[in-house]
Amino acid sequence: MDSLSELQLDALTEVFNVGAGRAAASLSEIVGDEVKLSVPSVEIRKSSEIDNEVIGLGTDRFGAVHQTFKGAFEAEAILLFAEDHALEIVRDMMSSQISIEDLAEFEQEAMCELGNIILNACLSAMADMLNIPMDCSLPDYTVSTIDEIIQRINAGEVDAYLLLLHIDLVIEKRRSKGHLIFVLGSTSLVKLSVQIERFLGAI
Amino acid sequence: MSDLLSHASDAIKEILNSIGVGLIVVNRHQSVALWNGWIEKYSGVSSENALGKDISEAFSELPSSAFISAISNAINYGLPVVLSNALHRSPLALFERNFEQQGKRIQQSISLTPINIDGERHCLIQVTDSSTSIKREKILRTHSELLKKEATTDALTGIYNRRFFDEHYKMALAQAVRQGTPISIFMVDIDFFKQFNDYYGHIAGDKALIAVATALKKQLQRVSDVVARFGGEEFVLMLPNMQHDSAAQFAEKLRLAVWDLHMLHEESDIEQQVTISIGYSTFFGNESCDPHALLDTADNALYNAKRSGRNRSVFLSYQPLDEQKATIL
Repeated sequence: MDSLSELQLDALTEVFNVGAGRAAASLSEIVGDEVKLSVPSVEIRKSSEIDNEVIGLGTDRFGAVHQTFKGAFEAEAILLFAEDHALEIVRDMMSSQISIEDLAEFEQEAMCELGNIILNACLSAMADMLNIPMDCSLPDYTVSTIDEIIQRINAGEVDAYLLLLHIDLVIEKRRSKGHLIFVLGSTSLVKLSVQIERFLGAI
Repeated sequence: MSDLLSHASDAIKEILNSIGVGLIVVNRHQSVALWNGWIEKYSGVSSENALGKDISEAFSELPSSAFISAISNAINYGLPVVLSNALHRSPLALFERNFEQQGKRIQQSISLTPINIDGERHCLIQVTDSSTSIKREKILRTHSELLKKEATTDALTGIYNRRFFDEHYKMALAQAVRQGTPISIFMVDIDFFKQFNDYYGHIAGDKALIAVATALKKQLQRVSDVVARFGGEEFVLMLPNMQHDSAAQFAEKLRLAVWDLHMLHEESDIEQQVTISIGYSTFFGNESCDPHALLDTADNALYNAKRSGRNRSVFLSYQPLDEQKATIL
């Protein structure tokens, strides 16, 4: 089992879009303005194939929010932003409450929360639809290069399979892009695939 | 059973109540099962009063709605939640303890972690006081602002220095071009300053520079107006949104401000007191504009003011660099 089928990927895209909708609702509440989130595509890649081009954020420095989760399958969920873009998003989110000068001190924590909202929403949608319980760590935020991120994802495995989610995030008229990356070890990928099969069979 | 600690050892109770972090545990029905010493201290609610209550009713004031929905998310999905200080500030009714700030809410950072106790999902709520880190950041920021101010101030006269002017001039001009608004630039030079210095000495020279800088600065009225020491006895002023006719009046105002100081200058070839020459130019906001060319135009106007007798102001209309030679007297 190397990968997921087209049908399975479509199913996942649907699941994650439900999650994105939930995250958008939470974010809109915080921002006090409409936030739109959508997941236009889901793809499976080997970690060796991942480079700045695949990520497609036009940068080599990323703000990354990590959460590790265990349960029916083990994975590391990471939300990647272009580093300077991350700040802009947080600024937009906080514009009503805080001046830009005040921002630096809060950046890290706010990024954690932003990542946490989006990751949680996607994970909970997955847990709901696929009916898999999950345990998850608190998020942490780092600024790193793609190599450092891949290294962290690979830990132990030589060449893990990654599930790449491209998420579009829009606040007001500004268009901001973020990438949510799920990392699944090959054994976990099989487990996920089984869960999706079950989900597809049930409908 | 509402109290998680009812069967815990004294040691565990002592530790949980002494720890410098707020700890609350709620069960899956969201009623309080642990309320540690830190929370008691800052909420003013004893654990006897809080235990068994619904979390939304345990505090003296209602928690924020984001906090309440975060708890149900954590319990329903088993996913941890972060409520950052940046986006929430003070979700819980926890108050400062020192006398001056009594009644003021603590700045909070909160994390919610789902935990399993006796096979049932609970939610552990950790609250930290972020006031200290915010205070530390503020001190650092004040320091950095101070350093920034020093880096952009002329040490002798206390007005802005050349570095500040160069940065802000480019931005202001770019804005004027973008918005199609005028901007006027004035170059100011103290007449026969070298003679003044030689005759009265450097200390008197410094005093004269300070007096002139202060007199020029006093003529500015809007925050966008800038006066800076350009070098030696030369000053530069930048006034966004000032048209040519106002600029002419303003130049005269500058000249008179220095004249009215009535600083004795016996070595001046023209008057018995300190005077200034002014060259100015205006960008009308109707074309593209090279920052160097506008500054050079004003400088050429200053040159003309000196050539035509000093203690006066002279205007030149903006000209691109390659056309400038012809207008110099």
